[in-house]
Amino acid sequence: MITLEDQTAHGMTGADETPAPGGVVISRGIRVRLRTLTPPDLDLLNEWVDDPFLERMVGSEFLQSFKHVWDKSPAFYDAVLNDPTQVVLVVEANQGWSKPVGIVRLFNIHLLEGYAFLETIITDQKAVRRGFGVEAGKLISYYGVDVLGLRRVEAKVYEYNVLSMNSLRRNGFQQEGVLRKAWYDGERYWDVFVFGILKDEIESVRRRDKVYLPLDHVEGNGREPA
Amino acid sequence: MNAMAGPQAETLETLGRLRLHGPLTAGTSRRVRQLLGDHVDHQARLLVDLQAVTALDATGVAALLQAQRAVGRREHGLLVLRPNRIVSDALKHSRTISAFVLWNG
Repeated sequence: MITLEDQTAHGMTGADETPAPGGVVISRGIRVRLRTLTPPDLDLLNEWVDDPFLERMVGSEFLQSFKHVWDKSPAFYDAVLNDPTQVVLVVEANQGWSKPVGIVRLFNIHLLEGYAFLETIITDQKAVRRGFGVEAGKLISYYGVDVLGLRRVEAKVYEYNVLSMNSLRRNGFQQEGVLRKAWYDGERYWDVFVFGILKDEIESVRRRDKVYLPLDHVEGNGREPA
Repeated sequence: MNAMAGPQAETLETLGRLRLHGPLTAGTSRRVRQLLGDHVDHQARLLVDLQAVTALDATGVAALLQAQRAVGRREHGLLVLRPNRIVSDALKHSRTISAFVLWNG
């Protein structure tokens, strides 16, 4: 629930949003929609965090934090909800899937400087190569510009994760550099590729794709923290 | 000027006061920005009471920054936040606290 009191003019005025268990849909594209994280989603994180394929391809600090820092505690949800340096959204397919297909987030958000990092994790192998990750990255980038006031988004990719590199390029990201031998997978060192996109380039992608965000009206409702 | 004259006083523009309750997060940010925007449009000097805020994420901080910048563009514009512990921690953690005027009264 969020309410507002105007103490000068009208006394109490309010705008209640009734809690809903399914989260709030923040953005909707052709293939996927993005919604806020909810406490039941921690069960999904619990499944995903132990997937060796995800660990190798993404090496998500978000999932690692859930497992190793928070020991898979329910308190992780409140920590994420109150974290002013990241926005975590759940990726749901518009058709054909009964469960979320992944997570997309902006993290290390620097609001005053206007930049943040992007991480997209498509967890369901059957959902890979269907454009879900591309669209999720695109939608959250629009969200970053519209809602957070970002002027730049960055992403890092392991050199063997060609699929992610292609997804970023399809969204207008440019490779800006290479962190040489920056990632160790337990057997050898790999390069990490750095990608970036600026606000006007994001807007060019938006004009090209004709997807306008954020939604005119949010779907679902906000919920009180647990 | 008469050096013996008494203190002078003038009435300044009134300070509007808003009180926000609940979470200022991604799920509510659109409404928060709308509410803040509506009041910033009509009030150049605003106190935003955040004592009853229960959660604040990057979208909530961004909404406050947006209001701060809108007020700052106006002549004699002033936005003062009255934060609770949750809000103070979030502003520190997001490294935006220096952008705001805070009142802890």
